[in-house]
Amino acid sequence: MTLPSATLLAQSALSGLFIGALYGLLGLGLGLSWGLLHLINLAHFAFAFLAAYVCYQLATVGGVDPFLTLAIIVPSFFALGVVVQWLLARFEVSPLNSLLATFGLTAIVEATIQHFWTADFRKLDSAYAQMKFRVGELFVPVPELLTFLLAVGLSLAIWAVMRYTDTGRALRAAAEDGPIAEAFGVNRRAHSLLLAGVCAALAGVAGVCLALSFTLTPAQIYGWVGVVFAAVMLGGLGSALGPLAAGIIIGVSEALAMAVASPSWAPIVSFTLLIAILLLRPGKP
Amino acid sequence: MLEVADLSSGYGAAPALWGVSLAIGDGELVCVVGPNGAGKTTLINTVAGVNPIRGGTIALDGRDLTHLPPHRFCDEGIALVPEGRRLFVGMTVRENLEIGSYRRGARAARARSLEQVCALFPVVRDLLDRTAGTLSGGQQQMVAIGRALMARPRLLLLDEPSLGLAPLIVVAMFDAIREINESGTAVLLVEQNVAMALDIAHRAYVLDEGRVVAQGSPRALAAEPALRRAYLGVGAEPPSVPP
Ligand SMILES: Nc1ncnc2c1ncn2[C@@H]1O[C@H](COP(=O)(O)OP(=O)(O)OP(=O)(O)O)[C@@H](O)[C@H]1O
Ligand SMILES: [Mg+2]
Repeated sequence: MTLPSATLLAQSALSGLFIGALYGLLGLGLGLSWGLLHLINLAHFAFAFLAAYVCYQLATVGGVDPFLTLAIIVPSFFALGVVVQWLLARFEVSPLNSLLATFGLTAIVEATIQHFWTADFRKLDSAYAQMKFRVGELFVPVPELLTFLLAVGLSLAIWAVMRYTDTGRALRAAAEDGPIAEAFGVNRRAHSLLLAGVCAALAGVAGVCLALSFTLTPAQIYGWVGVVFAAVMLGGLGSALGPLAAGIIIGVSEALAMAVASPSWAPIVSFTLLIAILLLRPGKP
Repeated sequence: MLEVADLSSGYGAAPALWGVSLAIGDGELVCVVGPNGAGKTTLINTVAGVNPIRGGTIALDGRDLTHLPPHRFCDEGIALVPEGRRLFVGMTVRENLEIGSYRRGARAARARSLEQVCALFPVVRDLLDRTAGTLSGGQQQMVAIGRALMARPRLLLLDEPSLGLAPLIVVAMFDAIREINESGTAVLLVEQNVAMALDIAHRAYVLDEGRVVAQGSPRALAAEPALRRAYLGVGAEPPSVPP
């Protein structure tokens, strides 16, 4: 086995950084709803892909700039998240059953996507797709860079809200002891709806990033589940910055493993990490 | 100020309170005593809005709270120090206190309330940035009382604030409760430490099997031999009130 050149390794690490940021962005909403709403929302991935297809449609057919589609996707996915949470609360779905219910929802969304866009590959051809610039020896692709900036910006913003605002503190308190938080005036129902809306909107943003950099096919929904779960569990449930940091660690390790060994190593890296986390942090769910 | 009439509550199919009536006047310190499982926690949590009301009414200063959702009780001027403290253990002491002043009516006075809590419990000032779960039992109890005071309540509900604390800390805790009451806040105190509770209370209720079985001045209750035997601890010395 010959070691690849330093430039190739650096380029690999950079692409690992970018895909890791997308893991983190996908994990952000998943982890928030898991940690703070005690809801394991598998449909988060389906929502992201639905948003990716909506972005594809608006950009390809409607000629809208992919980033401008956020103006439609963010509010409508917020509403979608609110409706789903309202239904889950209405029927008092337990955390375990939420996994099953949202798995069912995933299948419904997948079927819907397949109905409208078929199972064929779809690739968004936007002005951004070919944009890249050089930094020294390295190429920096613009869509991935923008994904990275969005992931960092949104994670920091959510972190600040959780830490410094009354609403953020109320959400964390309600996750620890709902009835007591309520006794101090926290309207748990309204907060759950708000948070679920934000998580779905984050899935929408992640979907736009997916559409910018990846070829879409409905079955791909499931391809992201394992690695993003690993990022969320490594980063900490309910944490705002954890999934991003963990996602980047996983992304970079995968990319280096691919560069040094072979592409088939990538999943092994993330699942080895996931199993190691489960074994080393037995107290965590 | 507080009028509880014919209040019923319970858990699932099992009732735990059967038509309890109780009143607290302005600035009064009222204590509720009774054996384990009598329903004291159920009563205090129901008045706080934490437990559902199955029957009867709760009114504060003439305002009917019976049909309010749980998160609205606090804005009516009621704050709870729950049994076992139930701090938000993953959050800092400061954040716990800030949740205390979450309700709109208390936010503007947050800085002033924090000063008042630190004046009442000076050790809390040095604990503000600690994670609540790392505190000792006595420190946690001070934070739990502080959190409730941050809501600037007119009625403070305290459920067994002396539970599991060292005797010296218990004395300090009762002094603090007396001080809070003397500054004008009405207090409903549930206690297993009957002697000390009757010592600081203006009036007392005895609860058993979800019903009020006796009420009156602490002195009169303590003097009742049947009550002393049944509820206040067999052979217990009468509390330090002169006969
Ligand atoms: N969460 C619960 N679920 C079901 N039953 C409960 C629950 N909490 C209390 N009970 C029952 O309700 C009754 C009253 O309990 P409660 O906790 O109000 O008594 P208490 O007077 O506070 O007792 P203690 O002195 O032990 O704190 C008891 O029979 C108890 O078993
Ligand atoms: Mg109790």
